[in-house]
Order: sequence, then structure tokens, then C-alpha cells
Amino acid sequence: MAAHLLEVDDLHTVFPTKDGVVKAVDGVSFYLDAGETLGIVGESGSGKSVTVLSVMRLLQRPGRIARGKILYKGRDLTKASEPEMQEIRGEEIAMIFQDPMTSMNPVFKTGWQVGEPLRLHKNFDAKRAFKEAISYLQRVGIPEPEKRAEQYPHEFSGGMRQRAMIAMGLSTGPNILIADEPTTALDVTIQAQILELLRKVNHDFGTATILITHNLGVVAGMCERVVVMYAGKVAEQGPTEAVFANPKHPYTWSLLRSIPRLDAVEHEPLRAIEGLPPDLINLPTGCAFHPRCPFRVDRCVKEAPPLEPVGETQLAACWVTQAGKDLNEVAS
Amino acid sequence: MAIDQTAIAQLESTPVTYEGSLGRPAQSYWSESWERLRGSRFGMFFGAILVLMALIAITAPLFATFVTHIQPTSVNLANSFAPFGRAHLLGTDELGRDTLTRLVYGARVSLGVGFLTVAIYLLIGGTVGISAGFYGGLFDDLLMRFVDVLLAVPTIYLLIMIASMLPLPIGPVTIRHDAFSLSFIIAITVWGAVARLVRGETLTVKNRDFILATRSIGASNFRIMGRHLLPNVLPVMIVAASLGVGQIILLEAALDFIGLGVQPPTPSWGNMLLNAQSYFYHSTWLVVLPGVCIVLAVLSANIFGNAVRDAFDPRLK
Repeated sequence: MAAHLLEVDDLHTVFPTKDGVVKAVDGVSFYLDAGETLGIVGESGSGKSVTVLSVMRLLQRPGRIARGKILYKGRDLTKASEPEMQEIRGEEIAMIFQDPMTSMNPVFKTGWQVGEPLRLHKNFDAKRAFKEAISYLQRVGIPEPEKRAEQYPHEFSGGMRQRAMIAMGLSTGPNILIADEPTTALDVTIQAQILELLRKVNHDFGTATILITHNLGVVAGMCERVVVMYAGKVAEQGPTEAVFANPKHPYTWSLLRSIPRLDAVEHEPLRAIEGLPPDLINLPTGCAFHPRCPFRVDRCVKEAPPLEPVGETQLAACWVTQAGKDLNEVAS
Repeated sequence: MAIDQTAIAQLESTPVTYEGSLGRPAQSYWSESWERLRGSRFGMFFGAILVLMALIAITAPLFATFVTHIQPTSVNLANSFAPFGRAHLLGTDELGRDTLTRLVYGARVSLGVGFLTVAIYLLIGGTVGISAGFYGGLFDDLLMRFVDVLLAVPTIYLLIMIASMLPLPIGPVTIRHDAFSLSFIIAITVWGAVARLVRGETLTVKNRDFILATRSIGASNFRIMGRHLLPNVLPVMIVAASLGVGQIILLEAALDFIGLGVQPPTPSWGNMLLNAQSYFYHSTWLVVLPGVCIVLAVLSANIFGNAVRDAFDPRLK
């Protein structure tokens, strides 16, 4: 247990609002080992981003961690003070964000910004940080880094900015890189380049990576393990291959089925998941997915299933699969 | 479903080439704005007048020694109300003091108070605005309600009230009717508007993604406010300051004129005007000259300020 680099245990993050308490993260547990790549998938509002923002302790008001532990190298980050967190952010755990067009300060030169973590954490002076920033810009595949470092963010394309953000995240040699939908705002060819870069970073620097995405294809190509989230809870987790080959939660099953296929019969409609994501203030009784679940049994409406081992390597929160049924068989 | 590895390999093997240089050289907000300001001839002309007046004001003692050969407070009753002439280029007043020398020394007060006050109120308003906007909550509420109260009292009454308490001993220092103290007094009565403006801008900037990104690299609150928020709200501060100098010069002259500003015998345009009103029919020039100085300084400050605003306001691009 202590072997895990990062371990999130029964995390509850809530946003008290006028209309009630939004349970954005509702009992999430997962772990990350050194050097591995973990995918967190789920639709918008499933709590992916809030989970990692909780880990970074960067929740915006009124959000707060209500319960649970976040153990980084055995130390509970939920109890760390703000100055302690400032030491960890950027130095131990770095984060890159969804929209590279807005994640950089428009008034500073790119090289200055990429070098900022070094000035903050490694006591580099401005000149040395700038030089080091250039070498990192080069390493993330930015051509003519000396010239580029002198430019302002608005002179960069989206893909180049995301590369710069990755360079910034890497410069201090963090143990964990959290990428929150790093390719969502980019076009497809650039997405592939950025993902390849993240893969290379994970490989070359040994940085453990948490990749948040709603793109299952990205998870399949990048991640060793995957956590599937639904309505603030973990629906299923396990090795990517096993989860994709044999999903143990109806939500994962539906997600995988909804992906358009190249070999689809012509004019066959796309298979969307019926219904809408649940309201996080008034969650459905029992399993949050039950109103949309094709495998629903009576018990799902009354009792929420815990996350239990199902099969050899997976964990799933589903009464049906926990009872030993195979979703593919039931469906056919 | 899986990423097409061959496509990635293909992308990787295609060398990325750029032709020649990377277009026009990098230009920051500042250099761009500065270029726009320089392009405004009208604004630059009045800016030059302002600079010239400031230079003469700064070098007033040299001016008195080498140009007019007389000190601003030296009295010569035998030579009162002298007309324009070789010895006294712009004549003398009822005590025979040289008007030109006094105008030059008066410029020190007016321009000095004008610029210093703006600097002080930017400092106060900027600090309050950024911290209120950044921290929010009760802190923000308290500061902004205080600003509301400040803005609800007419500035001139507030000024008169404070100025009439002078000289005011506070601990080891005594606040007197000098230009330095007046700058502080005027500044603490007018910073509210700037604070409000800066707070509003801070609220929009602090919710932008790059502030979260900056927090994610471990920057402290002070660093975020000082290094990241400040440069982003500086344009609104410049815009707020651009028309401030002219306003403050007028305010200070008004205070002098009602006798609560700089006290005689130290010359200021305002108290020269006050002094001269008794001789309006007898020696009109004594009224006209400081009046012209005030108008010229305020006009230059406002026209130049307008040009600065047009050049630096990101919303007017």
C-alpha cells in the first residue's frame, strides 16, 4: 500500500451552492504508481477535473474536500498547508490544462513563463531559467527554440503552446504530470503529436502521468490503467486492455458501444447512451447510472453498489457484474 | 479505436520546416502601445509642452539664478507693479516680486503635486483594488463599502475638511500645507475610483486559465498578484491615470485659491491667483499669467492623457 506514489482514498469533494450541495467527487479511490500512465475517463461533469484539482488542492471557492485522503509518497495532501502545497505544486506534481490558448499569461515572453517553475523552485536567476527554458522547449519539439522563447504566447499556435506548457511542467523534473484534457482544444493531427510527446515524456523522464480525457481512443493508445468515472464516482477501473475487452460496468460497456465504427453498416444510427447525465445535487437513488442502464435490476434502484473486484484485474461498482454476469452475454 | 501508430510515425518522420524567419519580430503590448502613442502627433506635441514645463519646474533654482537673476520671495517694495521689461520679463507684483520667477516656482508645486498625487493614488488604488478583487469575500466587501463611502462624499469638501485641520502633528511628523503633504491628502481622497476600476479588472483576469496555471506551478498569492495580475491590470491603471494629472492640478490650484493649499510666501499658481484678485483692474496681468499657466498645464496634461489612453487602452484598439 505504501508502495504507491499517489493514492486517493475515498475522496469527497463538494461545492455548496444556493440550490444545495453539489457532490462533484463522491467517494473516489484510485492509485498511481511511479512511471505509469493512468487514464481517467468520463463525460463532462463526471468529476474528472475536480478530482485532480482536489489532488493539487486548487479547488475554486466554494469547492472543498469534505472527506478522504490524498496520499502522495505517504503524506496526506488534504492536511498540507498552503505553503507546503506551493512546494509540491510545480516541483513534485505538475499540471497541464485543457486550453493552451488561455493557459499562458499574455504579457510575458514564452521563455520567461516556461522558466518560471525553475525560478520558483530551483532558485534559478532569470537568465539561467530562460536558458534552461530554451533547452526544454527544444526537448518538447519546438523548432528554433531560441527565437521562440523570445516570442509572446499569442505568436504561438495551439499545439506549440501546449508543447510549451508541457515544457514548463517538465522543467523541474516532477514525479507526476497531470494532463487535464490536454488535446481537447486542439485539432486532430496536433492531438496525435501532443499525445506522442506525452508518451515520450513518460518514457524518457519516467514521469508518472495522469491523463484526463473523454476520448476512449486516447486512453487505449496511451494508458496502462484506466479509471472510468460517472457522477462523481468510480464506475470501473482496471488495466486498459481488460476494461476495453470486457467492461464490467454498464456505463463503460455503453461508452465503448457508442463509439462510431469504421466497419459500421451504412445508415446504421449511432448508438448514444439514452438519457442525460444525472443532476449532481439530486442524485438518483441507488446506483447513479440506473436510470440510463439497460441492465438494471431492482436492487440498483435501492442500493448503491460499492466498488468491488470483478474478474481478475478489474474493479467495478455494479450489482449485475458483481453477481457474476457477463455484460456482453446479457446484451446478446 | 487505438491511435494509428503508422500515422504518428509518418508525422514524426516528416521534418517540420519553416521558411526563413518567423515573420515580424515579437512585439509586446508595451512596445505596440508606445508606437501608437508616438504616432499621435497632437498628443505628442502637448506631451512635449508638459515635459518642457516639468523640466523648467525641476530646474527652477537654476532658472532663478541664471535667467531672472532673482529669488521668488525677494521683496522690493520700491519696484512694485513693475511692467514687463528687461529686469522683470513678466513684471512684478504688489511687493515687487518677480512674476516669472514665481510662475516657474509655482510650476514646481502644480506639476509636482499633479504627478506625485497620481502616483500615490495609483499605488493605493492599485493595491486595494488588486487585493480586494483577488481575495474576494468579506475582505473585498469591507474595502469596497469603504470606497463607496469615500466616493459618496464630495472630494472638495473632504479636502477642505482635512486641509483645515492643518498643521496636524502625527507622531514625530507634522503635516503642513506643503506640496508633499498636499499630494498625500489629495491622493487619500481620490483613490477610490481607481480601486474600483482595478478591482473590476482583477475579477475578470483572476478567473482566466493562466492564473490557475500559475497556481499549479506553485506560485504564492503575492507572486500571482504582483507578477501576474498587476501587469494585466496595468493598462486600466494607465488609462485611469492618463486624465488624472490635469484633474489634480486643477484641484490643487482650487485648494490654493481658497487659502487651504500651499501657503504664502511659497508661490503657487493658485495662491498667486488668490493674491492677484485684489488688483484685477489695476494689474490684470497678475491674474492672467497664472491663469494661463494653469490652463496650459491642464490642457496639455489632458490632451496628452487622452493620447495615452487611446494608445494604451486595450479596449480601444
